[in-house]
Amino acid sequence: MRCLLFESIIAVCLMGCASEYAHLQKTQNDGDCTDKILPLTIETSWYDASVDVMGKHISGLLLIKNMPDSSKRIVFTNEAGLTFFDFSFSREGHFSTVSVIKQFDRKAVVQTLERDFALLLGIPFLNNVGQRYTTGDDVYFGFKEKNGTAYFITNKDCASLQRLEWGDKRKRLVTVRTPGSGFPTPALIEVDHHTFRMNIRLTRIQKE
Amino acid sequence: MCEMKKEWAMVLLFTFITVAGYSQHSGYLPIGDMAAFKKQFAAESSKVSSIESSFTQEKVLTALTEKITSTGKFWFKRSNRVRIEYIKPYSYTMIMNGDKMLLRDDQKENTVNVKSNKLFQQINQIMIDCVQGTVLESKDFNVSVFEDEKTYLLEMSPTARSLREFFSTIVLKVDKKDFTAHSIEMNEKAGDKTTILFKDKKLNTQFSDAVFAF
Repeated sequence: MRCLLFESIIAVCLMGCASEYAHLQKTQNDGDCTDKILPLTIETSWYDASVDVMGKHISGLLLIKNMPDSSKRIVFTNEAGLTFFDFSFSREGHFSTVSVIKQFDRKAVVQTLERDFALLLGIPFLNNVGQRYTTGDDVYFGFKEKNGTAYFITNKDCASLQRLEWGDKRKRLVTVRTPGSGFPTPALIEVDHHTFRMNIRLTRIQKE
Repeated sequence: MCEMKKEWAMVLLFTFITVAGYSQHSGYLPIGDMAAFKKQFAAESSKVSSIESSFTQEKVLTALTEKITSTGKFWFKRSNRVRIEYIKPYSYTMIMNGDKMLLRDDQKENTVNVKSNKLFQQINQIMIDCVQGTVLESKDFNVSVFEDEKTYLLEMSPTARSLREFFSTIVLKVDKKDFTAHSIEMNEKAGDKTTILFKDKKLNTQFSDAVFAF
């Protein structure tokens, strides 16, 4: 009896510790699907932004801007117009900080935002070769990066993009969803972190 | 001969500096008597006990050639009470009431004790000083005053380091007819600027204190 209890505990532990990506089955790549989904683009847009992080709430306006040189800029201001940060991704996907106020200028904050926005803009999928996996009705395309794997996930027939994810070997780290209208003009963007309490909600502003 | 050259150089330098100073605000000239202006500004401003107004705000990102325009309603009641309500194209409300500040967006509302946050305190104070006419007494800015036919232009250069991080200057235009704020232009270090233009101002009307309640 005691042995059965011990085995059950071990089994529960192993299930709990199992990688969230363990069930993915490697399959032959599908260039047609990759070509259909990539590159991910978001048209230049202003978003009403709401950020909840570790119990704190910040709101403001986020500009996603495609520059003439094919770089992308992400600018966050408060509603009254003060610029909090201005980040840039070059055409090749290199990240740089154009400006950031002292309150946001912390390595962990900037790195977290860099990864979130890189995923949203499809930067990890730019110059990289992906691996196709399947699980249930979802098809995963994983692109290995230095600090994890970026996934775009479609339905079985590659009809639509379901979501984007950052994951490490064991855990899902970040999910990006665009409920409703998708790329290149998502009306709503939701970024959820799974390893600490942070989520970003962006609602597209219809300019008059 | 050498002395004369020096004098000419000084005259030229002075002329250049003066022209450069004037050209920053086209059509405006420096006021002659700062002390008299201060006195008049304080006296006329004190006659305004409340303001109810609409506003248009334009944020310009110069390097990115982007701008976003928003509109809303503004209320002020002496002393130290301001409500700014953005209505389009997003919904956001800021209420400043003494030492407390409420920030409300679509999702949540935050109450901030401005005394516990120096930056909020300073930004709160800028808005209050601009509409209450007490900006010339502020220790956070050096203020230069210019005028044209219809408005006074107060160019405020921040002296506090915490404000210098955000603003290069704040330019307040004051209507000569009633000494109330016509517009507030916040110029950021990177060249971006935000201008709030007040419209349809109603002065000294009766409205409920509930506007500032939270």
